[in-house]
Amino acid sequence: MSKVHEDDMLAAELALGLLEGDALTEAQRRTVTDPEFTKRMHGWEAHLANMADLPPVNAPASVKRALMTDLFPDAVKPPLWQRIGIWQALTGGALAAALLFALMVFPMQQPQSTGPLYTAEIASEIGDFRVVAVVDKTREEVILTRTIGAAPEGRILQVWAHGPNEPAQSVGLWPEGETVRLALPAEIAAVRGTLTLGVSEEPIGGSPTGSPTGRVFGTVDIPNVQNAI
Amino acid sequence: MAEDPTKSQTKEPLERIEALIARVTLDDRSALSELYDLTQAKLFAVSLRVLGERQAAEDAMHDTYVKIWKNADRYQVTGHSPMTWLITIARNTAIDRLRARRSHADVGAYSETLGSSAPTPEQSTLVASDAKRIVQCLDTLPSNRRAAITGAYLDGRSYAELADAAKVPLNTMRTWLRRGLSALRECMEQ
Repeated sequence: MSKVHEDDMLAAELALGLLEGDALTEAQRRTVTDPEFTKRMHGWEAHLANMADLPPVNAPASVKRALMTDLFPDAVKPPLWQRIGIWQALTGGALAAALLFALMVFPMQQPQSTGPLYTAEIASEIGDFRVVAVVDKTREEVILTRTIGAAPEGRILQVWAHGPNEPAQSVGLWPEGETVRLALPAEIAAVRGTLTLGVSEEPIGGSPTGSPTGRVFGTVDIPNVQNAI
Repeated sequence: MAEDPTKSQTKEPLERIEALIARVTLDDRSALSELYDLTQAKLFAVSLRVLGERQAAEDAMHDTYVKIWKNADRYQVTGHSPMTWLITIARNTAIDRLRARRSHADVGAYSETLGSSAPTPEQSTLVASDAKRIVQCLDTLPSNRRAAITGAYLDGRSYAELADAAKVPLNTMRTWLRRGLSALRECMEQ
């Protein structure tokens, strides 16, 4: 058997992962010292990769979240509120500070709340955008405060919301400022169960289509939303 | 957040993926995020096929993209098309996990396969069609040789395991497999 053929077989066995012990060590050494051999191995890798060219299967979103959290821990959004009640969440410093800030900017005119108050955070996966949202079911309003990021030059922010299995609808535009206060549209005020909020960047004047057209910075699900009593 | 020309929607998926890998070498996080979105379904299919079980496949996906993030600078060296490079990393990562699991204990549990969702047109054309030849060539091989090559590549079987499964001596298996590879090489060069 020719040397070339023998090398070709070895390169294929290396690409397949069939070599063990000394044979493996020697072949791996050659991928550093022998460009011809390395080229053969890469050639086999390319051919073999077609055996793994399979119909796509979507991975669950949790895989990406965990990946981004692990790689970029400084950009993590703490989804604390998803598991614990708002009053416990309030003890978490940054969230509480931002919430209090929002409430100071827009002090409640009716101190006796009769509906629940929900707080949530919308953050981009890569950590370049972060918003604290407060949904006030007494006033059927949402108050949002940016803590990180902004719309790109010449664009504005737009706030979206939807109930379970419904398409997103616009809650309102957020053309400027760190904080905005928006009245919930009737359909959104009527949502029971999980209310999803999101923020996207859109052309000045808002999305021309009625759905987000620009980058969606992030969304958040607020579970168990109930009405004012 | 300035406009980024590489985010143009008009680019072919493969060129776009290549541009994103280049940006990942510069530690561009948003490029990794976009690369993930564009390629996750292809790579998850590989992980699932190799590991046969959802949780293990999800764990392997995590490792795969960590490697992509850390080793994107090696992409150019291989001369691979971008999807070949990504699929090879996904396959090798899944095989490593599979072998680690086998060496720990029960081998039996992994054969279950899972249903797949329908491909989107964009995703199903990511890999260059001219290299598809190996798949056709595999079909021309005697079934025992085809099974050996597939068992090694997609199930991470060693020569000893392949020989065991086929109930032949190890040397016979090595001969089968090498003859299979030779025939593949010949077929692909035609």
